[in-house]
Amino acid sequence: MPTTPQLGSPPDEQDKLLDEALGIVKMQAFQMKRCLDKGRLMDGLKHASTLLGELRTSMLSPKSYYELYMAVTDELRHLEIYLVDEFQKGRQVSDLYEMVQYAGSIVPRLYLLITVGLVYIKTKPSLSRDVLKDMVEMCRGVQHPLRGLFLRNYLLQCTRNILPDVADTEGSLESEESSTGGTVQDSIDFVLMNFAEMNKLWVRMQHQGHSRDRERREKERQDLRILVGTNLVRLSQLECIDLEKYIKTVLPSILEQVVSCRDAIAQEYLMECIIQVFPDEFHLSTLHSFLRACAELQPNVNVKNIIIALIDRLAAFTQRTKDEGGVISTDLQLFDIFSDQVALIIMSKPDIPSEDIVALQVSLINLANKCYPDKVHYVDKVLGKTTEIFNKFNLERIGQITPVGKELMKLLKIPVDNYDNVLTLLKLENYGNLLDFLDYDGRKALAMYLINNALENETQIGNPEQVDFMLGLISSLIQDQADQPAETPDPEDFAEEQSLLGRFLHLLVSEDPDEQYLILNTARRHLGAGGNKRIPFTLPPVVFAAYQLAFRYYSVKDQDDKWQKKCQKIFQFCHGTISALTKAELAELPLRLFLQGALAISRIPFENQETVAYEFMSQAFSLYEDEISDSKAQLAAITLIVATLEQIGCFGEENHDPLRTNCALAASKLLKKPDQSRAVGTCSHLFWSGKSVASGGEQIKDEKRVLDCLKKGLKIAANQCMDSMVQVQLFVELLNHYLYFKKKGNQLIEASLVNELVEKIKEELPNLENNEESQQISKHFTNTVDHVKSVASIEDHYKDIEV
Amino acid sequence: MLVLVLGDLHIPHRVASLPAKFRKLLSPGRIQHILCTGNLCTRESYDYLKTVAADVHVVRGDFDDNLLYPEQKVVTVGQFRIGLCHGHQIVPWGDPDALAMVQRQLDVDILITGHTHKFEAYEHESKFYINPGSATGAYNPLENRVIPSFVLMDIQSSTVVTYVYQLIDSEVKVERIEYKKS
Repeated sequence: MPTTPQLGSPPDEQDKLLDEALGIVKMQAFQMKRCLDKGRLMDGLKHASTLLGELRTSMLSPKSYYELYMAVTDELRHLEIYLVDEFQKGRQVSDLYEMVQYAGSIVPRLYLLITVGLVYIKTKPSLSRDVLKDMVEMCRGVQHPLRGLFLRNYLLQCTRNILPDVADTEGSLESEESSTGGTVQDSIDFVLMNFAEMNKLWVRMQHQGHSRDRERREKERQDLRILVGTNLVRLSQLECIDLEKYIKTVLPSILEQVVSCRDAIAQEYLMECIIQVFPDEFHLSTLHSFLRACAELQPNVNVKNIIIALIDRLAAFTQRTKDEGGVISTDLQLFDIFSDQVALIIMSKPDIPSEDIVALQVSLINLANKCYPDKVHYVDKVLGKTTEIFNKFNLERIGQITPVGKELMKLLKIPVDNYDNVLTLLKLENYGNLLDFLDYDGRKALAMYLINNALENETQIGNPEQVDFMLGLISSLIQDQADQPAETPDPEDFAEEQSLLGRFLHLLVSEDPDEQYLILNTARRHLGAGGNKRIPFTLPPVVFAAYQLAFRYYSVKDQDDKWQKKCQKIFQFCHGTISALTKAELAELPLRLFLQGALAISRIPFENQETVAYEFMSQAFSLYEDEISDSKAQLAAITLIVATLEQIGCFGEENHDPLRTNCALAASKLLKKPDQSRAVGTCSHLFWSGKSVASGGEQIKDEKRVLDCLKKGLKIAANQCMDSMVQVQLFVELLNHYLYFKKKGNQLIEASLVNELVEKIKEELPNLENNEESQQISKHFTNTVDHVKSVASIEDHYKDIEV
Repeated sequence: MLVLVLGDLHIPHRVASLPAKFRKLLSPGRIQHILCTGNLCTRESYDYLKTVAADVHVVRGDFDDNLLYPEQKVVTVGQFRIGLCHGHQIVPWGDPDALAMVQRQLDVDILITGHTHKFEAYEHESKFYINPGSATGAYNPLENRVIPSFVLMDIQSSTVVTYVYQLIDSEVKVERIEYKKS
């Protein structure tokens, strides 16, 4: 028999060999069945022996051998059935044994002996123990790894249903045992022996053949692993193995075999196998032994996966039991045990890669969360340990895409996801430290993850300490960092980040106004250091929150006699905040914020209201005059200033007058004439519906000043606009203004003035070049005319107007 | 033909996000057009609107960061010419006669404006005026209590049925107003 298996034959060659063998098996099986049908047992056995002879081959790969094995053992079923029949008819066992010995080679002989032994046990169960013992021993005759593994697998499969499964009992020893032929202990001994032998064969495969074939050998070993594992499965199926037996007999033997075989492939597979096949309650009671064995495994065994598999399984089991309202029978401090064990393992393996360490911490945290969801300090402990380890390894600036980085991100995200309340992070002292190990992009990514979680859960950050803490955690988004990359970030990404931060700021809110003020101050402090690129996104939310706070003080003024001073202080705070934006060389945004502020102030009658409102308006004006140079922007800005002033009624004459006048002046100084005309027209509203203290909060309705504005607008349009299209358009707009004020009751706007303008328009319109623009102007005029007609038919505002 | 009308979201300046109950109502695929009065204020809100309907029209509000949105827009839906303008440019803010001046200039049947954060829907001299309010209930110094609201127009030939959705005490309330083109 060749000793070196020629595993190198290429796949086609394998197929050919397999087909040949299968052919022989088929033919011999046919002959065997024919003989058995005719009652010629001896001849039948000869054929059986021949077909079994195919299993003597060394030429087949494990996969091919397996196929052959399946075909052969299939055929052996027939023989088994025949023999059971024979035996029940009265044929003697010894005769059968006798006959089977004639098989020439050991492989066929052993297969036949097993088959016979199986038959024997089926028909005389009381002899189980002895027969099983014999069979497991005699298999030692085949020491070739591949053939031996399959032979012993055959033994295991055959005995699947006939292993004694009754408890050992003190009394009635004789009678029970004699009826079942043994107890569960005998089965245990049988399977353990088979397991040990199979493992030895399996390990031996590692060292066969040339070193250059090692990789392929290892792969073939992996293909065969389930043959060995089936022994453990068989043990797990024996119902009479109770916890005590498991602890005393079963597990120690298995672990001894696993540890002593000193083979990494076997150890890795078998340890995981143990976890999979035996119940969780058993694992809970044997943790120490199991973990001790883990520490004794070969250096290149992936212990991390084994531990993680165990932790995850037990965590799930604990959670499931709790969910079903059950109680864990043992008093185990699972977390402490695993925490210590993980530490031991890490220490005993100096080469363990850092990502594996973190992966272990991840599973520990999951354990803590599943089994002890309210013990936040467990989570903190894990984080602390990880920080320690990182310090020891001098790790820093870990990138998110590195293996360690990925595990670290996972670790940091778990508490966020589990509690769904970012405020719990306050209780985790080590969280911030651990976060700092990530590189810039990693810290930012985690900051955004935190913010998104807070926004989704609408988590309110309700006091200054919490605000301080949270903003500290996400400081990578708020301020420039030492390890920030030098190149400018993508503007769209940057805007997205900062907008997210802006949205987050609205969660910083307290019911108590005084506390809210402190919160805004804390936020301002953090955000103010963000630099000119960030504050346009982050300071406006603070300002608007402050405006709302001022109003809140006003609404509860009866409960707080200091409310007026507080309002003043808040607006000073806003003034400073908006000025920071001005210093960052922005103009339009602070202008609009000042205007909004003026509106806010105008609604809160606190002491110094007028002064502060005036200050805000004049700041807006300064920005307009000094910083806004684009003519389109200027028109938009002055229009906004006028529109805002029109709404504010808290100014006395000595303030309202200069403001109105400056608006009109600014309007008349715009660069483009049409803009001037329009802006001056808009100013007219200040003199009509504008309110002041002097007018007692009522509309001013200064008829003359309104008319002056409109006349001025008209004059600019008529005399200073060169483009006739624009001119006519302005005429129509101003006509509408005339009509507007006439309808509101301005007596100075006489019908004659209106008619004059109407005539002018009618005169100029036909002269315009016929295009889309002139058609629009024409439509505008027609609509205006229709408006006059329809109003005139109901009321007499438009009396005497001729269209 | 369903047209969503909304605006003055003010995200992130004044508010964190659209109310969850509103988000649930605005599922993609049911709405053909969106008319937005402005003050989104950022790209994110615009992108969100694009997921609700493909055809989105936005006009510029005083706090929008995108300078390319137009000041005014006119779109035709069914038989209606609809004008869209934020409204901070129209003095006095919210004044029906001032709004009517813009209606005449744009020559529209329906004028949609925002800025006041207050829902309006009324007829004035046979034309229809809609203000969808603020979809997020954002702060407005001139409004003591801003109720989150938006409008859905169902346009069928010469009739438009306007549904206003308001979030009052955490419940969504709907009202119906009809306008026929004369």
